[in-house]
Amino acid sequence: MIEAHGLTKRYGPKLAVDDVTFTVQPGIVTGFLGPNGAGKSTTMRMIMGLDRPTAGTVTVNGRPYAQHRAPLAEVGALLEAKAAHPGRTARQHLQALAATHAIAPARVDEVIELTGLGSVARKRVGGFSLGMGQRLGVAVALLGDPRTLILDEPVNGLDPEGVLWVRNLAKYLASQGRTVFLSSHLMSEVALTADHVLVIGKGRILADMTVQDLLDGASARTVRVRSPQSGVLAEALRREGAEVTAGDDGALEVAGVDAARVGETAAAAGVVLHELTPTVSTLEEAYMELTADAVEYRSEDLAEEMAEDVAAATAEGGSR
Amino acid sequence: MTATEQTAPATAAPAVTVHRVTFTRVLRAEWVKFRTLRSTIWTVVVTAVVMVGFALMMASLMRLAADTPEMAEGMSQDPAMQAAGMSGTFVITLGYSFGQLAVAVLAALIVTNEYSTGMIRSTFAAVPRRLPALWAKLVVIVVTVVVVISVALAIAYVVTLPILDAADLPVDLSDPEQLRALGGCVLYLATVAAFALAVGTLMRHSAGAIFTLVAIFFVLPLIFSIVVGASDAAWTDWVNKLLPSVAGERVISTGPTPDTLLEPWVGYGVLAGYTVVLLAVAAVTLKRRDA
Repeated sequence: MIEAHGLTKRYGPKLAVDDVTFTVQPGIVTGFLGPNGAGKSTTMRMIMGLDRPTAGTVTVNGRPYAQHRAPLAEVGALLEAKAAHPGRTARQHLQALAATHAIAPARVDEVIELTGLGSVARKRVGGFSLGMGQRLGVAVALLGDPRTLILDEPVNGLDPEGVLWVRNLAKYLASQGRTVFLSSHLMSEVALTADHVLVIGKGRILADMTVQDLLDGASARTVRVRSPQSGVLAEALRREGAEVTAGDDGALEVAGVDAARVGETAAAAGVVLHELTPTVSTLEEAYMELTADAVEYRSEDLAEEMAEDVAAATAEGGSR
Repeated sequence: MTATEQTAPATAAPAVTVHRVTFTRVLRAEWVKFRTLRSTIWTVVVTAVVMVGFALMMASLMRLAADTPEMAEGMSQDPAMQAAGMSGTFVITLGYSFGQLAVAVLAALIVTNEYSTGMIRSTFAAVPRRLPALWAKLVVIVVTVVVVISVALAIAYVVTLPILDAADLPVDLSDPEQLRALGGCVLYLATVAAFALAVGTLMRHSAGAIFTLVAIFFVLPLIFSIVVGASDAAWTDWVNKLLPSVAGERVISTGPTPDTLLEPWVGYGVLAGYTVVLLAVAAVTLKRRDA
């Protein structure tokens, strides 16, 4: 169980995490979803006591992380791949961390086998691929057999088999009654792995709901309708109990009734229709919509920049 | 709610036994970290070898000087040699001037390499109170330096014994002053290591910490040895004698103390004072800053 109250982190003028309050329940996988730079990693570092909150508190299993007598038995964390010295072997890295809690060497071997690092355990971490580094991070997280697991982007750099392994592992650990808190910037990943989801954007929690609710909300149907008499039509549809919003191109977005009902309503009111299109928003669209205002680095800005670059290059080429 | 009561294992294997974090366990972990890096092992070995090498070289020079009156004359006029005191102990401890740089860099890197590699986050996740990790590092580096330098001095003593006897400069272990200088050499280098560990903890960057340490223990004394000779201003004398290395290395000297320098134990006290203050500041910032 992780409980955050009014958690805030400010780096100079930038508010990385803005007054965030949430609870992560045991027994389920909770996804922490948000675009890059939304504050996921900062929040996780504050849970682990690595970053000091500017304001607010966060506890794990009832206490601030640093106040636990055997912290690795409470929380196992994968905060970033390769939080290890490249000159040590995977085994030596695990041994050093195990020593702090007098964890038996047998457990070190166990997590090495469990994470599939057996063949490289005696190789130096410096030569590891991103995927192997990620597996070592998971091995560290599992070392103390913790009641709570915090995994920051665990599937990053993993091959498809590794991704599947992480998904199953997260579900398995949650099924044992553990708290599993896993971050990702990929909606699809969270939808496949998590039961509950926290969506964060620009440091604020945008949604805190079950994945099922998010899916239901995402597949909500709307009907796009265009008419020269849109005012009359909107009035008629509202009487039918539909939610009508005007699009910027003169079209109406109708929610709450299906396309057939919109057509019937229009006919009954004697309204001419120019367009009648049922639309289904996908999960990704729902997520994009949710975080649209909260994306730190917009791709359209990049697209504009690239367009400018291309224009500049063309002009240069032409003048030659 | 103690960890050992926990029964749900992550695998089908029997429950994992996890004990609470104690200082002894953190110390063991830091020792594992220390001995599993090849670079630290190499630095330690090279330091010992160079200490012995310097002693052999100086002993041979002394042997040569004993047969060459002009050379002996020149040496006895040298102010640096006068300050250190001419004895067999001076010969076998001479390598400390190199040893201090090696020891300082080693101690600083123990902390800074954790920041540069991201290891520090693993360390603090396991020891979230943080300070036990700092004190464990301090114990590991200080004990290592004490053992390695003692062994190096013992070897230097044995291998230079016949040469120094021939030069009529024996190491006299019954002379309290020489004994203090020998012990002082070990103490000085151990203290430099603690000083450097604090600097590394405060600066967190390898290059910055090493630059600072080389400046403090090598460049500043060099500059001030020139300034003091060239100027009559009293403040230059004072700054010079209070420099960490100039003050601290007084404890390795034999012979009378010149006016421009501190008494051996007073000098060492100054270095120890700087070190304690730096360690205290390092501990406070380590506890407060984001990792």
